[in-house]
Amino acid sequence: MKLLATTTRYYLLLAALLFAAGTAALYAGLVWALRSEMEEKLVTEQGYLTPILQRTGRLPLPLGDQRVLSRRPRPAGFDDTLEFDPVGRRWEPFRQLHFPVQVKGVTYWVTLRKSLLENDSPLGVVLSVMAAVLVGLLLSLAALNRWLSGRLWQPFHQTLAALRGYELQRQPAALALPATPIDEFTELNQALTQMSERLAAEYRSLKEFTENAAHETQTPLAILQAKLERLLQLGARDAEMAPLLRDAYGATLRLSRLHQGLTLLSKIENGQFPDAVALNLADVVTEKLALLEELVSGKELALTYDAADPLPVRMHPALAESLVVNLLQNALKHNHVGGTLSVLLRAGILEIRNSGPAPTGDPARYFERFQKQQPGSASPGLGLSIVQQVCRHYSFGLRYTFEAATGLHVLHVSTRPAAATA
Amino acid sequence: MKILIVEDEPALRTSLVDHLQRDGYRCEQAATYAQAHEKIKLYRYDCVLVDLTLPGGNGLDLVRTLKADQSPAGVLIVSARGALDDKVTGLALGADDYLTKPFHLAELTARIQAILRRRQFQGHNELRFRALTVRPDRAQVLVGDEPVPLTRKEYELLLYFLANPNRLLTKESIAEHLWGDAADTADSFDFIYNHLKNLRRKLQEKGAPDYIRTVYGVGYELSSE
Repeated sequence: MKLLATTTRYYLLLAALLFAAGTAALYAGLVWALRSEMEEKLVTEQGYLTPILQRTGRLPLPLGDQRVLSRRPRPAGFDDTLEFDPVGRRWEPFRQLHFPVQVKGVTYWVTLRKSLLENDSPLGVVLSVMAAVLVGLLLSLAALNRWLSGRLWQPFHQTLAALRGYELQRQPAALALPATPIDEFTELNQALTQMSERLAAEYRSLKEFTENAAHETQTPLAILQAKLERLLQLGARDAEMAPLLRDAYGATLRLSRLHQGLTLLSKIENGQFPDAVALNLADVVTEKLALLEELVSGKELALTYDAADPLPVRMHPALAESLVVNLLQNALKHNHVGGTLSVLLRAGILEIRNSGPAPTGDPARYFERFQKQQPGSASPGLGLSIVQQVCRHYSFGLRYTFEAATGLHVLHVSTRPAAATA
Repeated sequence: MKILIVEDEPALRTSLVDHLQRDGYRCEQAATYAQAHEKIKLYRYDCVLVDLTLPGGNGLDLVRTLKADQSPAGVLIVSARGALDDKVTGLALGADDYLTKPFHLAELTARIQAILRRRQFQGHNELRFRALTVRPDRAQVLVGDEPVPLTRKEYELLLYFLANPNRLLTKESIAEHLWGDAADTADSFDFIYNHLKNLRRKLQEKGAPDYIRTVYGVGYELSSE
């Protein structure tokens, strides 16, 4: 529930209670005041009628009120009664005053009545005004609530949107939050900005460290590889040395491939590929398929390549190659002999389908680094991470599905967002 | 043939010099930008091997200098892996080829040979190895006078061997030569084996003896003996 709705709810509850109590008090007060007024009138009448009665022995005829003269004793004072109204054919409430009058030594009991119905209309007016005010208050509070949430909370929603869109990897800069006139929001924005600055600084230093580490690893790797190659020339025919050299050489190459993959990933993350050009993915796919031709035919894969009406996409050429090669390699690697590989290229869509063993584990994790289907594999397991990173860099959609019915793995890249901005 | 090797890392530089000397080149070395700059201003080289990250300057400026001087030297840029924009810039400046570190020494030889062939003979030369003759400008391979029909990959494979005679070529280096970055596929070694089998068969059918030796578990070697 929204904060404003919650507070408004409490306000409304309090207002309703106060109004109810106020209305009740007002009602009681009014009833009491009107009744006293009536009693006063009856007493005035009593003072006016008593000498007339004593002088004439009769009561003057009343105009609207009822006056009764009786010799039957009654308790003197005020009380309430109901009388039947023959005109309205209903019982009506009356206030009556009994008092004794001595007329020539005989005690008469006089009863003066006044209808209480006259009091009802002012009461009705008062109560309906109160109710109208209450309803008006409720409605205006609700309207105020809407208006406030749209206006006062605007900076809060802006902050929220900025936070949602905040991605350290993408814009390792601090959050840029608009100034607000509300102190609480200003404080919130300041705290968030400071936090994002700290995060960005830490991220930058971590990134620099990774970059430096990557760069510094490269030269020793190159030396190692060069020296090992020379050693291999010398010792490859030596029965004792050959296996040692071979393993050392193989491990060095693995390390260098791993290094290459990680460097590429961190370069993409750092946005070091700003120069996008419009290129046709179909050309890249054709070129890479030709390169991998033997690997496809060697596995006896049935290859179908269908490129129709592809839109040019804006990408760095090297990243386009990387994307396509890694997708194809993935489809080749996780395929079985005699399987299928199909590449579908449409406007804004690149889809690669391949046969292969049913997936194990969580498909979402396939895009994580160092995820391998065969743990012993010499490949570093960075291919799909690179694919994902390239897609993220260009805001492409990337989806993996396994079609259980056909047993096909499908990797779907949607280049639409880039095409739309191109 | 004279080659200048510009590389700041001493251990790597000696390896490069040693390797290229074995290929029969005369090698000179430069460890800094200033040294390299002086040498290319003073002497003529057939080929210059330039590392891009150098103490005292950027290797790309050396390429610019060479091109500004209209030097006939071939230029091979060596640089860090993943520095893809350097590649584009380097080639745009007029470098002949680009190699990323770490690389296979045999690959370096093949690249330098290709550069020199293009520069000095405009490709119109022949490679001879025992009974084999290769005409790179026509992508033609002859045993004696008889042409051998080869697939593109078989032809590339043969050229790679011919660039590195009597040298052990590791399977990894062959895979990378044939498939580049895409070589990272577990089965690529099987395909090398298949390609080699076909290549040997085709050459032998035309009467050439089997020049290619298998070095068990490591790779292959083109033998001149």
